[in-house]
Amino acid sequence: MAAINRPTPASLQEYLWTYEKTSRSQYPLLPNSEEILCILRYGAIVGSVIQCHSSMDRTMDQARQYISDLEKSGGSVASGTVILADTLIRPKGRFARAWHAPVGGLWGCLILADTFLSKARTLLPLTLGVSCCEAVRDLGVNDASVRWVNDVLVDGRKLAGFLVESFRSPRYGEGFHLLGFGININNSRFPAALTNMAVSLSQILDSPVNLHNFTLSFLAKMAWNIGLLCYEEERELHQSFFSEEQKSHLLLEQWKNLSDTLGKRVLYGYDIQQNPLYEATVTGIRADGAIVMRLKDGNEIIEHGGELQYL
Amino acid sequence: MAEEIDFDAILKKYHSDPYDYVDIRATQTGRVSFKITEGSNVNSPSGEWLHIPGTPLFEITRERNPKIVTAKTNGTIASVRTELEGQFVEAGEKLLTIRHPLKKKEVIENILKEVLDLFPAPERAKYFFSLDIQSRIEKRGARAITIKPGDEIITMSLMKRDTPIYYTGEAGVIHSIYFTPGLSVDQGQPLIGICASDKLPLIQKVITRVKADWDKLIEPTTLEE
Repeated sequence: MAAINRPTPASLQEYLWTYEKTSRSQYPLLPNSEEILCILRYGAIVGSVIQCHSSMDRTMDQARQYISDLEKSGGSVASGTVILADTLIRPKGRFARAWHAPVGGLWGCLILADTFLSKARTLLPLTLGVSCCEAVRDLGVNDASVRWVNDVLVDGRKLAGFLVESFRSPRYGEGFHLLGFGININNSRFPAALTNMAVSLSQILDSPVNLHNFTLSFLAKMAWNIGLLCYEEERELHQSFFSEEQKSHLLLEQWKNLSDTLGKRVLYGYDIQQNPLYEATVTGIRADGAIVMRLKDGNEIIEHGGELQYL
Repeated sequence: MAEEIDFDAILKKYHSDPYDYVDIRATQTGRVSFKITEGSNVNSPSGEWLHIPGTPLFEITRERNPKIVTAKTNGTIASVRTELEGQFVEAGEKLLTIRHPLKKKEVIENILKEVLDLFPAPERAKYFFSLDIQSRIEKRGARAITIKPGDEIITMSLMKRDTPIYYTGEAGVIHSIYFTPGLSVDQGQPLIGICASDKLPLIQKVITRVKADWDKLIEPTTLEE
């Protein structure tokens, strides 16, 4: 059965170099149009190949299988390959949590070759939350916000969830990052356990959303934000920026613009559902993406991983 | 792993000098200013989440950005390179040494670390066992779990990016677990200690022997339990 959502690399490139380029030309932190073009060129690998399926078990598993199969036949996967499915049969979130992925949502996985330096690799998970939040706000949902690390919430309900897993290919040992995304778009029914925690874009807007256009918008913003990571790497390597005194990473700046986490009273845990650890107040985010929180005793604690729940 | 262990030699070594000597090096390039002197007592991080920093050891300043480096272990300052005070040092330069008094448990761990195959943390991150290994540990205990090269044993998690870690050492059982799920582990620190199944009796002998002989060899006032 043919997939319903079928964006093509050509349509994505057209979107990236027209709409996305125009909207980013207003980017206040980058007045130089050559820099905008540089970022877009870096990110343009996103969607170099787009596979569209009507259904599959899990896109992350499909990505691992695809990489392995290509290697067996002597080939190599194109970095930026996107795998989409209209519905997932056995979706799962982190820690094997249940995830609901019926027709109407945007479910997929982006494969990126691990060509990043350590700092960019650490910030890679932020690109998903930032891109999703930007795409959602473009539709007028201005109260969409990012909760550290990359959850996208509207009125406290989760609109999207993301997974990033690294993978080493079995034959050549090449490193890849698999960026899984699940965004509730036109799906409006959730299992009872998720009803009060999840929300879809069509529920928020009270009208159906053009899934094809949203997919292009989200992937174009992923291209931009991954381009930002590469651009910042280039600047750091040239030591023209991102020094100790001037730690203003453009992706982190945008994350701060979109996030409502700073200043929030939170419950922290590595696996917040199974094992919440402590309550704290978020006081900052560091240049490496780690979150800084103040505990009840007044001391600060820095966490490089884990999950937050707003109190 | 050695077939025969000279227990007397090992125990005598710890008896004559029951301390670890921890070298502290410059964490980055910069100008250094010491906060301690030789003979100072220093404390390790404390608090329920080890969130209260240890004693400040030195400040290192790069590009007018000062950073305080604190003690990660308790003990006494055995030596300080005072000639470097106010000087510009390279990252990795040894600056001081902390003499850390060992507890009996730490002595056993230290000896075991010499005889086990240690699997180190590839990056500073949080670690947890893969779902399969975790469920087997819960059912049968770690020492009943045999792992071999290529097995996915641990997941490394950093900023919600999960990386499966594949075992690369000799096949064996998981004897010691050095990490706590959810707490960060520094790069290079051991995550687990592995030994071949047929070496388990030898390992048990190490533990039994140290426990039995320790109190005879060490004055009670020298070491904490």
